[in-house]
Amino acid sequence: MPVLRFKVDRLLEYSGFETIEEVREALFRLKCEAEEVESGVLEVEVNPDRPDMYISDGIVRVLRGLRGIEEGWQRPQSRNSGLRLSSTRPSTRPYIAAAVLYNVNVDEDYLEELIQFQEKLHDTIGRRRRKIAIGIHDLDKLPGRNIKYTMATLDTPIKPLGMDSYKTIRWVLENTEQGVKYGGISRSGGEHPVLVADGEPIAIPPVINSEVTRVEPGTRNLFIDVTGTDPALVFDVVDLMASTIAYRDNVVVGVLSFTNGEAVETPRLSTERVNISLDYVNKVLGTGLSASEASGLLRRMRYNALAIDEGSLEVEVPPFRLDIIREVDIVEDIAIAIGYEELEPRRPQKLMRGVLEDTTTLNRVLRSLLIGLGYTEVMQLTLTSPRYVDALGLSGEAVYVANPVQQEYSVLRPSLLVTLLPLLRGNMHREKPVRVFEIGWVVKRKGDTVEEDLRLAMGIMDDEVSYEDIQAPTYSILRILNVTFNVEPGKVNGFLEGRTGVIESGGEVLGWMGEVDPGVLEKLGLEYPVAAAELSINKLKSRIKSRS
Amino acid sequence: MDSNGIVTVSESEYRVLSLIAERGLKRGSIEEISEKIGVPASTLHSISKLLEEKGLVRVSVVEEEIYEITERGLNALREGLPEEKMLDILKSSKGTVDLKTLKDLLGEEAGPAIGIGKGLGAIRISNGRVELVDEEAIRSESESVRRDLERIAEGKTPSNPSLLLRRGLARKGKVKRTLIEFKEDPRELLGRVRVEVSRLTSSMIKSGEWRKYKLRAYNVSASPPRLLPARTHYLNDFIELLRDIMKELGFREESGPLVELELFNFDALFQAQDHPAREIHDTLWIREPSRGRLDDYMDIVERASRIHEEGWGYKWNPQIAARLILRSQTTAVSARVLARRPKPPIRVFTIGRVFRSDVVDATHLPEFHQLDGIEGDYDYTFRDLLGLLKEVAERLRLELKFKPAYFPFTEPSVEGYVKLPNGKWLELFGAGMFRPEVLWMAGVDYPVGAWGFGVERLAAAFYDLPDIRMLYTRDVDFIRSFPVRI
Repeated sequence: MPVLRFKVDRLLEYSGFETIEEVREALFRLKCEAEEVESGVLEVEVNPDRPDMYISDGIVRVLRGLRGIEEGWQRPQSRNSGLRLSSTRPSTRPYIAAAVLYNVNVDEDYLEELIQFQEKLHDTIGRRRRKIAIGIHDLDKLPGRNIKYTMATLDTPIKPLGMDSYKTIRWVLENTEQGVKYGGISRSGGEHPVLVADGEPIAIPPVINSEVTRVEPGTRNLFIDVTGTDPALVFDVVDLMASTIAYRDNVVVGVLSFTNGEAVETPRLSTERVNISLDYVNKVLGTGLSASEASGLLRRMRYNALAIDEGSLEVEVPPFRLDIIREVDIVEDIAIAIGYEELEPRRPQKLMRGVLEDTTTLNRVLRSLLIGLGYTEVMQLTLTSPRYVDALGLSGEAVYVANPVQQEYSVLRPSLLVTLLPLLRGNMHREKPVRVFEIGWVVKRKGDTVEEDLRLAMGIMDDEVSYEDIQAPTYSILRILNVTFNVEPGKVNGFLEGRTGVIESGGEVLGWMGEVDPGVLEKLGLEYPVAAAELSINKLKSRIKSRS
Repeated sequence: MDSNGIVTVSESEYRVLSLIAERGLKRGSIEEISEKIGVPASTLHSISKLLEEKGLVRVSVVEEEIYEITERGLNALREGLPEEKMLDILKSSKGTVDLKTLKDLLGEEAGPAIGIGKGLGAIRISNGRVELVDEEAIRSESESVRRDLERIAEGKTPSNPSLLLRRGLARKGKVKRTLIEFKEDPRELLGRVRVEVSRLTSSMIKSGEWRKYKLRAYNVSASPPRLLPARTHYLNDFIELLRDIMKELGFREESGPLVELELFNFDALFQAQDHPAREIHDTLWIREPSRGRLDDYMDIVERASRIHEEGWGYKWNPQIAARLILRSQTTAVSARVLARRPKPPIRVFTIGRVFRSDVVDATHLPEFHQLDGIEGDYDYTFRDLLGLLKEVAERLRLELKFKPAYFPFTEPSVEGYVKLPNGKWLELFGAGMFRPEVLWMAGVDYPVGAWGFGVERLAAAFYDLPDIRMLYTRDVDFIRSFPVRI
């Protein structure tokens, strides 16, 4: 989740809130967690659905609305910027939108905020600059009025941000940190998209801007470009930024006209008008709001909203609310404006029958039987180390994680014994006998499908153990469950041949029990003999069921 | 002794007491009694102390004069008395021997031997020769000396101590003796004792002999040996508690696969295919097989394709939906349940394992349990969902507060913070009303509230464990001795 840093005194002065505690409480109601991490600095965790709150202008706008100092949204003043924008639709990154903002008056703090705004947009809806990327320029430093977005060869010279000489695009892609990180996104063979103002490259989106148009403290007016692969989103993001920065006093939006195809002009600051039925609002929330109450609440959430009649509202969604997809998203804002606690949570009204799964009931029975037999329950992760799987010779049927974080957790256990034996190893110094059991899932590969099985495993470790030590409790359980079964000698991975019984019931293998192969014990560093059993609970369940 | 005059004695005390009574003894030194009843003096010592504590005997220590055999006496017993040696020499020389020869043969014992012989009138000396005149006198003298020495050796008083003292064969010494004196005749005492035993046995019950015995009182506050029971696992106990709460609230339990199609983990939940949660850093894919079959789910596939392209504006790819992952949320189970279009009202829950790309530390595991619940009906509202969360929290005895939240598949969305016993607020529940897109993909035409939480974080708080890894300990004794929380 994006975490933003703001200066506390600036935020208080801007919002008109008295204390930081008031700000924190209001932000909590707006899905944000805020904490004063160091003196004078507030860290705010904003949900990714509210990119308009990645800058103080957006935060103050919602704070003042929630408190009722202001309401609704006013379209900012705008005029023609005189800039002309054309695009040749570079194939790897075809779309562009742009905006001019007058009277922004950037100071040091605000410059930091602008960079933060840009970065967080890149990281979230920008999908790390793949989907959209933003360039912020000093309008007054633009070398010309004709802005062209096009493909250029890698030999094209540009003066990259932070440098005092011209370099080729190729050099920038290969030698700068930004170039290495983002240079592969939109490059197309020997070409790369470039933004040019009267012949002078001012950006190579999505990599870096030109030093020529650098924004610095003292910059008065801004030119913003947004490029990307999603045509709707580039316009939305320009609208979001323009309408948010324009919340500042005296800021005027400058509009660019397209000289070719794309659209007529940008930014569009387009809003959406929706009619919402009051009945729908009350049905979703469980409330009894009137149309005027609902529209008042929405105005506090910075929508323009009016009650058309007793049963419906007209809502204008402001251009910075990219998260509003459909009516229900607007309804949530009504709930937020009321406050979730004030919605009066309603306790369950209906009487319904609770039912546990059959396996849960069987597991409970098995657990109580095993405790009675002196076995202690253990719980382990399904993810384990390939070393253990190999020790039991089960790597052929195991399912491996393609992108593991740690080797120790890179394969799913194909048998409970895989994790039970290492556990016993950790208890060699405990008073013996050590008796443990586990109920858990195993995952196996079966052809081109995956098979999951819920299993019960029991293990006993002692100075000496025999087949009977595990046979007796296994028989005990099966007999108490009234399962008919027979036991045949068998070969099971990890077990000692001649001292292993395969348990069959109804023509199916239910599980096995026996003494663990000393070769396996040695591989796992186990210095005491172990006898173990493993049963399929799913099959056991069907054997119990099939009797009824 | 109790008011009825009944005296409690131990089994060993009883044995000694009855032996003494049998012999008709009433007093004597330990050594004497030991000899008479055949019980070692050391045993008698400790038992006399115990009987004294019970007021049955008087035990006193007296100092007694005794005679001890000297080095010379011991020598004489081993090798013979000087006069005996002289007698042997005389007899082997036909009754007479040269005085010088006798002195040479007897060495330093010659003086005492000749002195005794003369004193007894058993020899005569003349003209440098010694002649035996009364053999019997020497024999009776030496026999009486020997007898007395043997008496001393047996701990008895010699009959002619002055002779031994004079001859330097014995000396006087002192010894302490422990005397035991019964206050009443042991035979009468035996009639009013009851034997105390440490264990009741089956044979005592069968024979009725238990009446004769008293079971010894225990030091009941002393610590016993450590004993650990076989136990169910505390994390599973907590999970079962959650199951019971859900059942009480009328929820039906369901489960689903651990290896899941992206379709149910993400697409059916309206998470766009380029959503950051679906990137390599968050989701675990499996190597082989890398894809599953969508054939059985063509209806939801078709709907997902339509709604994703409409809602998010990108080309939806069924190949991505078919990829197999380790499910990252049990909401995948809820998505599967909804896709079966159950008839409302519904209350369904699942508890199962989910997997994340996290490095293991005190607060993270690559695998943990989640509880996911859904509730739906035609008249179900967000207020009902909030009320349900309050109810669940209350049954867990937790205070709950709400925070508006964002999840891709719910709207309105809410996070539930619970107050832990340490006063801290823990972000626990994620919840919300399923988005219309999610319901439409599943083909459900009534509102559904969904909620879930990570079990381990709550369990760790519930059990006051500082490290989440302690929930998956390998130490069996830790499990067996884990304190119960009710």
